[in-house]
Amino acid sequence: MTLRIALAQTAPRLGALDDNLARHRELLEEARAGGAGLVVFPELGLTGYQLQDLAAEVAMRLDDPRLAALAGATRGISAAVSFVEESGDHRLFIAAALLEDGEIRHVHRKVFLPTYGLFDERRFFAAGDVVRAAPSRLGVGVGIGICEDFWHLQMPQLLALDGAQLLLNVSSSPGRDLAARNDVGLGTATSWRTLMRTYAQLTTSFVVFVNRVGVDESITFWGGSEVISPSGEPIFSAPFFDEGLYLVDINLEDVRRERIALPLLRDERLELQARELGRIIAERAGLATDSTAEPGAEPGLDVAAAPAPEPIRLRSRRRRAATR
Amino acid sequence: MSAARPLPMDEAGRPLFELPDELAIDTDVARRVIAGFIRGQLRQAGFERCVLGLSGGIDSGLVAYLVSEAIGAEQLLCVLMPYRTSSPASRADAETIVAALGCPSELVEITAMVDGYFGRDGEAGAGGAGVAEATVVRRGNFMARTRMAVLYDRSVSFGGLVVGTGNKTESLIGYTTLFGDNACAFNPIGDLYKSQVRQMAAAMGLPRQVIAKAPSADLWPDQTDEAEGSFSYPLLDRILYWRVDRRRSTDELVTMGFERDLVERIERLVATSEFKRQVPPVAKLGPRTAGVDYLYPRRRPGSSRT
Repeated sequence: MTLRIALAQTAPRLGALDDNLARHRELLEEARAGGAGLVVFPELGLTGYQLQDLAAEVAMRLDDPRLAALAGATRGISAAVSFVEESGDHRLFIAAALLEDGEIRHVHRKVFLPTYGLFDERRFFAAGDVVRAAPSRLGVGVGIGICEDFWHLQMPQLLALDGAQLLLNVSSSPGRDLAARNDVGLGTATSWRTLMRTYAQLTTSFVVFVNRVGVDESITFWGGSEVISPSGEPIFSAPFFDEGLYLVDINLEDVRRERIALPLLRDERLELQARELGRIIAERAGLATDSTAEPGAEPGLDVAAAPAPEPIRLRSRRRRAATR
Repeated sequence: MSAARPLPMDEAGRPLFELPDELAIDTDVARRVIAGFIRGQLRQAGFERCVLGLSGGIDSGLVAYLVSEAIGAEQLLCVLMPYRTSSPASRADAETIVAALGCPSELVEITAMVDGYFGRDGEAGAGGAGVAEATVVRRGNFMARTRMAVLYDRSVSFGGLVVGTGNKTESLIGYTTLFGDNACAFNPIGDLYKSQVRQMAAAMGLPRQVIAKAPSADLWPDQTDEAEGSFSYPLLDRILYWRVDRRRSTDELVTMGFERDLVERIERLVATSEFKRQVPPVAKLGPRTAGVDYLYPRRRPGSSRT
């Protein structure tokens, strides 16, 4: 079964929700006209990334009529869109929703919020607590991760084990670490490509990576969206920095072929992983002693520090007198 | 890959400048990012034009080339602002750049403005008799701030944003005048070390003499950056790169072969100039304070003038 995927490598306008909603509608129609069954938009494509205090001003509840209207435009097509979601108890999440046939089919709240280096997400957003693959009208399970979510091994693994065969990563990745000794001239891009191809191979799933372009404040987003086959081969790589809607055909049968030939998922040892994780969690919480550590090792280290040299003892007369 | 491009040579077949290995960048990617950055800043602010002060040196020259590449030379106003002691060669180089780009330019001599404050030929200026003995540093700072005032005035008349031309090296060591040459609406080269500025300038085809000449603030005759600071840019750039970008400690730098005295001197320059790289602090009194807990992007819906 062939699926045509439209990668919407857009440049959202910062804080301009209405403009971005309109642009999403246009691109949805363009993708539909191009025969796409799925269109994937980048992280915070409806709001822009560097929101800071604007986050609360552009947030939408899941019952927001603007979101419903966008979902209404998805009859006969699937779309992954990303926005700021406000929960009933007024937490703000970076969310991505799978919209299908007029409905919100699934919502993923970003689990890993980078708050280091140039990132400050935890200051403005709450972290999601749930990882689930979702069924889709496309006939395969879909797993959604948002940017940093896929810098943690367990995310693509959990999604694949939960039934996803199509892993979507929607991103706002800032380009940085310009380097000449690098095949694409950009350190960030090389790291992403390495990771996404590895996940596709290890989960024997399709990985669709959609990264935005454009500029927010100091930051330039590099694009370079990709579709990667279950064998880890890139099927399509979008250009860096160019805005565009890129159509890519994939054969969903490739998942079966790869999983028969390379039954990695079949051989995963979930009970072993759960058991060892349970042990590590208990040990890290101080509820059990670290069973793999040498005696005397500090918490979090398995190896004890080398013994310090014997201190030189001062043998003063007074000391001797005191000890007698 | 642009790093594989040979460096430009002088008549004797020596490279025009030294480019340390670890500092080499992919200049094609950098040009791409910077052009998009310039267009993005203008779009978000609702402007279509830029203004910059063109000294004839490599930094402002490179920015002029980058802005021209991003938005077209006709949208860039280069303002030449010599003082009476400024090097005629600098002005000639600036004129060469203007001619090569075909951008509009204006000449604003700042001599009368600066001498009007400090006085001249025994006549006291507006600054009073006491300023006649002012040090070259005071005079240099005043010149830099006078040029800033001219640029922000021309920003209104030309309808363009003032583009910064300071590089990462001089920003990190604080070799800039606060609210003078570091005043700008945005800076496209502020994250490029001097060596990388030279690499970019070579890739973009700036005039050879502009790339090859000794960098100078040209605030007094025969001033050069490297003589004033007694360092060489490639060495300074390497130390800053390993210390700042790659987070190496002083001891690690010494182990790598850098001189401890020099490393420590540079660290002091970086620390003492921290204030020049940051927005001045506001005394926190109210519930919400700009820059502290009122945090908005500079450009957001409604912030564009158009």
